[in-house]
Amino acid sequence: MKRRWTDLAWPVAVAAILLFLLAPILVLIFSAFDGGNIFRFPPQNYSLRWFETAFGHAEYRKSLWVSTLLGLIASAIAVTLASLAALGLVRGRPGYRFAVEVLLLAPLTLPLVVWAIALLSIYAQIGLNGTLPGLLLAHVTITLPFAARIMIATLGEIDPTLEAAAKSLGATPFRVFWRVTLPLALPGLLSSTAIAFLVSFNDVVVTTLIAGAGWITFPVRAFSRLRTEGIDPTTIAIGAMIVVFTMAVVIVGQRLLKLSR
Amino acid sequence: MKPTVTALLVAPAVVLMFGVFLLPFLFLVVLSFWYQTPGSLSLDTNFTLANYARILGDSYFLGGLWTTLWLSAVVTVICLVLSLPLARWIVRRAGRSKGLLIGLSILPLVCGALLPTLGLVNLLSPLGFINGLLKSMGIIKTSLPLLGNVLGVAIGLVQAFLPLMILPLITAIEGIPVDYEKAAMSLGAPRLQVWRRVLLPLMLPGIVAGSLLVFCASLTAFVTPQVLGQGKVVTFASLAYQQAALVLDWPFASALAMVMLAFLLLAGALGAFVTRSLARSA
Repeated sequence: MKRRWTDLAWPVAVAAILLFLLAPILVLIFSAFDGGNIFRFPPQNYSLRWFETAFGHAEYRKSLWVSTLLGLIASAIAVTLASLAALGLVRGRPGYRFAVEVLLLAPLTLPLVVWAIALLSIYAQIGLNGTLPGLLLAHVTITLPFAARIMIATLGEIDPTLEAAAKSLGATPFRVFWRVTLPLALPGLLSSTAIAFLVSFNDVVVTTLIAGAGWITFPVRAFSRLRTEGIDPTTIAIGAMIVVFTMAVVIVGQRLLKLSR
Repeated sequence: MKPTVTALLVAPAVVLMFGVFLLPFLFLVVLSFWYQTPGSLSLDTNFTLANYARILGDSYFLGGLWTTLWLSAVVTVICLVLSLPLARWIVRRAGRSKGLLIGLSILPLVCGALLPTLGLVNLLSPLGFINGLLKSMGIIKTSLPLLGNVLGVAIGLVQAFLPLMILPLITAIEGIPVDYEKAAMSLGAPRLQVWRRVLLPLMLPGIVAGSLLVFCASLTAFVTPQVLGQGKVVTFASLAYQQAALVLDWPFASALAMVMLAFLLLAGALGAFVTRSLARSA
């Protein structure tokens, strides 16, 4: 083989692109351990003081709690609705399947800022502005497409003859669902819940427009602080934890899905 | 499964997406033709084109629109150039680490718009990592201005939206049999020829899809431009955000949003046209 350098150039280029993609996230994690008073990288001396400050800060604790609560409820509702719809679409094979799929996946392609501006004005008209139900509705809407896409794919891969076999052996429809369909769909259910939770938990675009003063999530608090006071290390410390958590969920999720295949 | 059961299963999600997602877009159209006197919060519900006239008559808004359009175009091209080798590597060469690499590539997407941007602020700031590294290597004497300008915003948008290009390209390459590449190589085609004559033509639908996603996402991004532009780069979505969230002039914000939507539809139509004419010529 001639031209050895090109064989090396590709991996190097690919590694550089991956590094560019991940560098900001890695930097965020490392600088959270800096003991100094400003946000810097590389860190000068390592310390955990910003993590302590972060957990001692009532405002941050409250916003993290709001984010978690919102993410849990929204992802539970979104995954339930998405799974039911996916079950109907995949097993019922209705003629309107394509139209419904386009509708359910629409938020992935249409701009969320535009939608959030519209939603904000509607909420203001009907008094849902800044309320938990209003915020929940919005978060279910932005997380449902992610769950729907995974659930449609998951259920599509389950062999319907397995269900038919269980049925022909005398199992009731509920038993078929509980003992056959559900266990087979479990990896998809878990990963769609995880992705939905992360999307809800990390959303700034929609939440910052419609959250109001009562239900401020962590990303919204960080964004508004950023505009008024610049970056403070406490935000970095919490941001780093969220990013690590997100990475763990994504990597474990990939493993789970691969094991299931 | 009975049709009624199917309909009952599908109904809740459809009702939600129709009511909460689609209806607001219709309301947006109506609202953009209403008027709100600056400084007050009372709505005049008579039909008027005043909001649109204001956008067209103000060089501030037109300038923002222009900046956003060419910035989005540049970001799309850079994303495409960076994603092509990465996507092919992940599909053809990564082997067992393929799943992990896909997971890592979508990380900026699930981390939300804000957190990776915070890391970028540190990398790009005058006292940040990149400037520090270049100075210690003696390449530059004074810090490069990477933050608070269009360059910084472009870097941030590319980083944030690269996954939107990588994923469709991965799907596209997975659909091309390896044998095509091997055949071209065994007939003596150099690497660039294989890309130009085999891979790129077959990947075009994926390229169009990815470009549309990145272009639309950049056009409507406001968190990244605000943080990395530090208020000095005016993009169209941040103008709309300001009007909606800070000025509380929703009719005007709606008109700005409608303009964004119009450009997105235009981009979508162009993408559909390109894909269709390619399909016909193939």
